[in-house]
Amino acid sequence: MHTLWLVIQREFVSNVLTSRFMIGFIVCLLSTAVAVFVQVDDYEKRLSGYNAAVREAETEAQNWELYYNINPKAHRKPNPLGIFNVGAENLGANTVTIELAKPVFELTYPVLGEPAQKRGADNPLLAMFLTIDVVFIFKIVLSALAILFAFNTISGEREDGTLKLVLSNAIPRDMIVLGKYLGGMLSLFPIVFTSLIVALIIALSSRVTAFDGNDISHIVLIFAVSLLYVSTWYLLGLLLSIWTKTPATTLILSMVVWVMLTIVHANVATIVVEKFPPYQSKPEVEYVRSAANVWDQFQKERDTYIKRRGYENLRDSIIWEPGTNPERTDRFLTFFSYGIESLYFVEGYILNDIEKADTTIFQEILDYQEPLRIAYADKAEAILNKPAEERERNAKFADLLSRISFADVYHYAVGTIAGTDRQSYNDFIQDSRAYKREIVEYLKDKAAFSSRAWFSNDQGAADLTDLPVFQQRRFSLAESFSRAYIDILILLAWNIVLFMAAYVSFLRYDMS
Amino acid sequence: MIWQIARKEIHHNLTTLRFSLIIIILPVLFVANSLIYSFGSGYTAQVDTYNQQVTQNREHVADYANKGLAELALIGPGEIPKRPNRLTFCADGADKLIPRSVKMMNIGGLSRAGYGYEVYRWRPPWILEYPLDNKSGSAMQRIKIDWVFIGILMSFFAILFTFDAIAGERARGTLSLMMSNTVSRGQVLLGKYLGAFVTLIVPLIISILINLLIILFSGNIPFESSEGLRILGMVILFALLVSIFIFLGLFFSSRVSNAITSLVWLLLTWVFLAFVFPSLLGTFVGNLNPIPSADEVVKQKHAQLEQLYGEYRPFNSPGDITPKLKKAASAEDPETTRLWADFLSREVETKTRLSDAHIDQQFQQVQLARDLTQISPIATFQYAMEGLANTGIVSYTNFVKQARRYRQIFIDFIKTEDRGDPESLHIYPVKEGLSQKPVDPDAVPVFEEQISYRSVLTQVMLLVLFNLLFFIVALVSFLKSDLK
Repeated sequence: MHTLWLVIQREFVSNVLTSRFMIGFIVCLLSTAVAVFVQVDDYEKRLSGYNAAVREAETEAQNWELYYNINPKAHRKPNPLGIFNVGAENLGANTVTIELAKPVFELTYPVLGEPAQKRGADNPLLAMFLTIDVVFIFKIVLSALAILFAFNTISGEREDGTLKLVLSNAIPRDMIVLGKYLGGMLSLFPIVFTSLIVALIIALSSRVTAFDGNDISHIVLIFAVSLLYVSTWYLLGLLLSIWTKTPATTLILSMVVWVMLTIVHANVATIVVEKFPPYQSKPEVEYVRSAANVWDQFQKERDTYIKRRGYENLRDSIIWEPGTNPERTDRFLTFFSYGIESLYFVEGYILNDIEKADTTIFQEILDYQEPLRIAYADKAEAILNKPAEERERNAKFADLLSRISFADVYHYAVGTIAGTDRQSYNDFIQDSRAYKREIVEYLKDKAAFSSRAWFSNDQGAADLTDLPVFQQRRFSLAESFSRAYIDILILLAWNIVLFMAAYVSFLRYDMS
Repeated sequence: MIWQIARKEIHHNLTTLRFSLIIIILPVLFVANSLIYSFGSGYTAQVDTYNQQVTQNREHVADYANKGLAELALIGPGEIPKRPNRLTFCADGADKLIPRSVKMMNIGGLSRAGYGYEVYRWRPPWILEYPLDNKSGSAMQRIKIDWVFIGILMSFFAILFTFDAIAGERARGTLSLMMSNTVSRGQVLLGKYLGAFVTLIVPLIISILINLLIILFSGNIPFESSEGLRILGMVILFALLVSIFIFLGLFFSSRVSNAITSLVWLLLTWVFLAFVFPSLLGTFVGNLNPIPSADEVVKQKHAQLEQLYGEYRPFNSPGDITPKLKKAASAEDPETTRLWADFLSREVETKTRLSDAHIDQQFQQVQLARDLTQISPIATFQYAMEGLANTGIVSYTNFVKQARRYRQIFIDFIKTEDRGDPESLHIYPVKEGLSQKPVDPDAVPVFEEQISYRSVLTQVMLLVLFNLLFFIVALVSFLKSDLK
């Protein structure tokens, strides 16, 4: 044990005293600080946009008087961990407007009246600049540092001739490998730790960022995974150092491996999948057309029902007091909307002088029609969601390909833990659909479909006091861990494999 | 003498591991680039869409020209597509983010105004609109395997070839031996520079040739002779970039006593110049020069239009009070028609002013970010490549500028044609005030896109300047450095 400690100590001291330690330390600290500074600002912008949108929606909600035209909104709350890993935080929609008979979907070309929209975005063209965050700095800079610390551990000592001297002592070879590994990690640890602490301090110095215990525990997990990542690189450098004869060769080789794994590989994988998508999909227009067919079916089914009740159309079921003129307008009731190029097909009824009308049968028909309309909207949603599903499958495939490089495994692991990955975004869209179902249940419980307040406020406005509000799910540490565990395991496996390889190679190392 | 040192350097370099790595990696990347861009979905699909759109547009114009000048004047010339670019494989320039067309038509329905029992249907005239994908969610990753990316890697290789050029010789003790000959330090430096430059540029040119051959033989991306010239320009840009990083490598190598320290410095400098710096400034410029968001612009537009509508009341319901537009426009009533023209021109002016200003602000923001990031030679290289390939934001800015010019040309055409019709009231832009006679569809001006390479010039000058600067810095540092 004592000898191991000796090796560790020696490795640590020799690392810390080098200029690369000092330079690496300062650069890592500085770039982390600057990245956090920029990201905190970006987060503040997102948050104020979110707050403004929520306030606006609340004011709007106060004016709702009828059940049929409420449109609650699901807002995507900015994730404070986006300061560390911005991920998909700035991508995609951040507000989903829930309309009962409108499917929630995302198409690539802009459609008028899309339910999922991005609010508060000032310049989509700025997206052409890379965004940088702590995790990006760690992914690129820390890995380079780990390699630079490890490359001459064995081959360097061999060139200096000190390796022979070390081995002539009564130290087993496995102790040397382990000691060098632990010593190297011990010297990298303060760099990672201090950078993260500095990042945390800068993040907390902003007035708007507030991390709760859950966030802090996530940050600790990110820290642990970052250490695991650095360790993978260090072990790779160590292995290359054992395999090559001179430190110059190790250095060149490990630098090229570094550039390939951190920068080239993931980009090649992504563009290959983008240009040769494994899951080919039909053009989006075709999905929009078949969704329109769904509405035709709805219309047929609904019309049959109304005919069966003995009426030509919905409005005929209203019985007017003698002497009223139902032709003149003041309320316009919209029933359903879909579209091919422009999103709207509107069926509407003009109901004036409603207080002089008996709408009992009208309400009965609505009680049948409205749930049906919602059910058909779900059908249309299933169709309109297909292009996004295809895209997601292609993107998943690209992720899978890029996971060959452990630099990207790290990236995905941290994104998942922070809750800023693409999956979290898709979850938001899913949650907004769940929210829609919740609203439907709420209306069913209130018997709102058959109530007069569905379309008219002459006998009292709709009672929406306890309308459910959209709640975005946040994951607990255990949940986040279980989401990210595969990536963490892959990183761990790389560590074990590389360590074993280094260990075995060094045991068989030829000193001559 | 310089050449002798260079030759020695080249011979030495050829035997090194880094050279073997570069002659594997470079061709592989270039071949991958050519295969991805010539066989992957992209250019051919874009050309199809473009041709389709152009035909559609021609039909649209012919259709409305036959209906009459007034119809054409109000509906507009259609959706103007941007010509797809052949050289995206050289510089992708966030091609996916850039809109592929601008809209110059109004397909929306007619608006109505009611006067007593009479209803007047009117069409708001077309305006130039710039559709931007606000969500940009589909952009999977921003780095593409184009020539620019390979150029960035080349700068990395330039570092790998020079980080020990002087520090290594100093450590081995050969530097003082070399200097004991009758050779000046400047010559040594230039010799080393040339050696590294030749060993880097020769594999690069060979790989580029392979790349171009594959693209030519695949036949999916046809070339023109002018593109040969642009590609030649890009090779020169590559050379300029590589040369900058060779000087940078020589600078650190002569400055620092130890080759490893020099590599650490170089590596971190490279990461900063290639990734950290451009992206930080790109993100930061939004705070430096904030612009209103799209929602705010829409709100502002609504407010201003609301005011205008309040003044003129063009959506009158029967029986409402009518302050300004008391009657429907008609060919018999020039005074009312002129009033409608006032209203419609003001509406067009308001919409145009706001949407033009918004996109200009966005352009300015991006331009500011680009100007700032040009401190990094890698970013300058990227922009110059994009400029030569005519991709990226510069090409879109140019496209928008030309679309605006075309907007004026089209309006002028309508007005001149209208002047030729004695029956017309010559009141633009009201349907009743313009000639109802059909126009010859072939006489309608067609949008033609022209490419401007003016922005490249400054970037090339910057790159040359960087070269000079780093050369001087490296030279001075080498002249002042110790031999041991």
